[in-house]
Amino acid sequence: MGLAAFAAAGSLALAACSSSSSTATGSGGSSSTAGFNSAITKVVNPSTKTGGTIVYDNSSGPDSTDAGNTYYAFNWNFTRLYATPLMTYKSCTGSCGLTIVPALATAPGVGTSNDTVWTYHIKSGLKFSDGLPITSADVKYAVMRTFAKDVLVNGPSYFQVLLAGNAATYKGPYKQKGVDLTSITTPNATTVVFHLNKPFADFNYIAAIPQTAPVPQSKDTGANYQNNPVSSGPYMFQSYQINKQYTLVKNPNWNPSTDPQVKQLADKVIVNLNVNANDIDNRLLAGDIQMDQAGTGVQSAARAKILGSQTLKASSDNPISGFMWFEYLNTKVPPMNNVHCRMAVEYAANKTTLQNAYGGPYGGAIASTAMPPNIIGYQSFDLYAAKSHPNGDIPAAKNQLKLCGHPSGFSTGMAYRSDRPRDTAAAQALQAALSPVGIKLTLHGFPAATYYSNYGGVPAYMHSHGIGIATGGWGADWPDAWGWFDEIVNGNAIASAGNTNISELNDPVVNGDLAKMQSPGISQTEKNTIANAIDMQVMKDAVMLPAVYSKALLYRSPSLTNVSVQPYYGMYNYGTLGVK
Amino acid sequence: MIAFIIRRLIATVFLLVIVSIITFAIFFLIPRLAGQTPYQLAVQYVGRNPTRTAVLAIEQKLGLNEPIYVQYGRFLRGLVFGEHYNSGTSTTYCPPPCFGYSFKSQQPVWPQMVSSLPVTISLAIGAAILWLVGGVTIGVISALKRGTIFDRFSMGVALAGVSLPIFFTGLISLELFSYKWPIFPNVTFVPFDQNPLLWARNLVLPWVTLAFLYAALYARLTRAGMLETMSEDYIRTARAKGLPEHTVIVRHGLRAALTPIITIFGMDLGALLGGAILTETTFSLHGLGLFTVLAVQNQDLPEILGVTMLAAFFIVIANLVVDILYAVVDPRVRH
Repeated sequence: MGLAAFAAAGSLALAACSSSSSTATGSGGSSSTAGFNSAITKVVNPSTKTGGTIVYDNSSGPDSTDAGNTYYAFNWNFTRLYATPLMTYKSCTGSCGLTIVPALATAPGVGTSNDTVWTYHIKSGLKFSDGLPITSADVKYAVMRTFAKDVLVNGPSYFQVLLAGNAATYKGPYKQKGVDLTSITTPNATTVVFHLNKPFADFNYIAAIPQTAPVPQSKDTGANYQNNPVSSGPYMFQSYQINKQYTLVKNPNWNPSTDPQVKQLADKVIVNLNVNANDIDNRLLAGDIQMDQAGTGVQSAARAKILGSQTLKASSDNPISGFMWFEYLNTKVPPMNNVHCRMAVEYAANKTTLQNAYGGPYGGAIASTAMPPNIIGYQSFDLYAAKSHPNGDIPAAKNQLKLCGHPSGFSTGMAYRSDRPRDTAAAQALQAALSPVGIKLTLHGFPAATYYSNYGGVPAYMHSHGIGIATGGWGADWPDAWGWFDEIVNGNAIASAGNTNISELNDPVVNGDLAKMQSPGISQTEKNTIANAIDMQVMKDAVMLPAVYSKALLYRSPSLTNVSVQPYYGMYNYGTLGVK
Repeated sequence: MIAFIIRRLIATVFLLVIVSIITFAIFFLIPRLAGQTPYQLAVQYVGRNPTRTAVLAIEQKLGLNEPIYVQYGRFLRGLVFGEHYNSGTSTTYCPPPCFGYSFKSQQPVWPQMVSSLPVTISLAIGAAILWLVGGVTIGVISALKRGTIFDRFSMGVALAGVSLPIFFTGLISLELFSYKWPIFPNVTFVPFDQNPLLWARNLVLPWVTLAFLYAALYARLTRAGMLETMSEDYIRTARAKGLPEHTVIVRHGLRAALTPIITIFGMDLGALLGGAILTETTFSLHGLGLFTVLAVQNQDLPEILGVTMLAAFFIVIANLVVDILYAVVDPRVRH
């Protein structure tokens, strides 16, 4: 699932939109008086007060605290506190927060040679937490070490796929000591140049991934670097007990003027890991902690408390999370290989019961598109009457069944993650909704841990077991249509195991449009047009049954300052928080 | 006695080997028999949307493409002789007993388990004292006051204790005594050597919650045992000889009734030392129980193997201690 919005796998801003600060500004403004959803549009409790401790709890934990080895949304948000990438998301609310701005770099990278060469200049005077200067060589080394996939297993693989030269055979600086990665050059201490094997217009988004945060080679300890990463951000590691707790303190060598997207207000940041989820909510409401790091919202018990109290509700927000829940409709498993059979499923599905399965109106808004609203270029449309007939359009479904040659319905299997209550509820809801039109679903529950590796993500398994529908969820690696769609509908993404294009869509129109999005010199207007075209084509292909644009009920501790929702992550912006 | 202990220790080693083989088979052999390929196994241990190269790299590093017996042999070798591990920039030595390195965190398993032990031991020992003293005392009094209001009330409470799951009583106790009336606020584990008072205060709720379940069980067992023992002929004889009632109860009645209690206590304590999963999860205590939950969630074989063997070790040792105590408590065993 793309950027894992962890919750059980999945997961806002601002920064600096504080009027009382001298840092970045964005849409919305700021306010010391707040109500429900205030932090979605403005900064709540703006302040420049320093001191105090912010305590985060997490019912799970990051895949790694090494910024070069993480793929969890909340952790990309959090690592900004100690790892500064070349680019980063602007700390502001609304669509402003979807834009990327320089962090380590002086300006966004400029693509030359048909967008195959991207050059970044690093701000001068930057230092690591140990006092050593940050140079372009540290950025290059940070990227080089991500090629050691046997050691740093978690992070995305965009550099391995996109870089030219010896990138295809390079195994990282651990196995290939002394071997240079020729596709990254550093002509001087402040310039780093990436040479790609093909045009890639979105490369600035790649530069915003935490993997570009600098790592000094002399301090790299491979798999153990996560225990004490050298900081390039406002905070640095003080201690780390794996799976239990880590503590950050102020980085004395960080200069606030070098990165206005993050702040250094609290003296200390403590993160408690693997805490009982309900207990996290209780601690949050009791004021024992200030933030739930996973950012996926409170549990049902706390939700009832918050929604039942005007005071508590005024301190909460219910943003679109950037994540989306849907069902894959397979294009290879008969009779689902007939588009009309898939359309019958689209029409017959009861979107209201699906929404309830995913947590009701506070858990998500009924979706009608294959792309959520916080993706740049999103336009609303509704091909299958998801919103006009939220309980299902039975006549239209029956009509499609006739067209697919199964007027009385058909049977197929549905895969879901049986240890995820929402997945289970969604599968049962869809089974019940399709039954009246004669579509009989046989449910196949699998463990979440092996769902993609052994079952839903293994096309051969899906084919041999006649499974035509599978539950899924997705979060984009960056907020444009390519970042959203490429791994879930591009024909090139189909894999024998760990497959995320479970529909097995290989539509030349979709593939071609995705390729166009990375063509050299493409304008944002053109990208928006293509984004909508892809979204429309995917829905016409009926390979995704959109369930909900995921939402999370987040509680913002009244003791926090500079609280706002970062729209890309769909959670509070961890980079700007302070405490009263 | 020494020969007995040595024999039992040797048997313990064999038992642990069998446990490791079974655990290994469950997580590696059975999936293979079910058709899972080493590549699919490796996919579980890489990040999302991995390239094929990345999956193959981790498959090779973890040795998943090797025959099962080779993988198991490597595990045993690490256990006995230690293992060298390449962290990328350097090679570190993991001394025996080396349970390997986590497939997920790539950190050695044994130090993680050792760091979890103080939590589990603190929880288990404290709760054990509470339930043993409380449960046996209530059971004895109930037996001696059979049919009274105390007997009926205490057995009713005991029934509730046995029936209510820990995650329910735990959450209720947290809600009431940590949040509504914050007598025990912010329950987190504090090491004993850091602050003994805070250590105890923060463990009161987990102790009581855990002890509530076990004390109920022990009270009922003790009551039944005492009722049976106190009707024995030798008790009547003891009374006829003019022994004081408390001597009859404690030295003759309770002592005999304790034999089955000690048996089950050994088993329970041994199992708890392997991790009080529900209690630790409910109270977010990072002991072996929570460690086990995370290991299973992550399908992290080295961690699962390690914690399974440690739990088995505790149970076996606890049983050994019980067997020795038998001889102390029950003169019939000595003879």
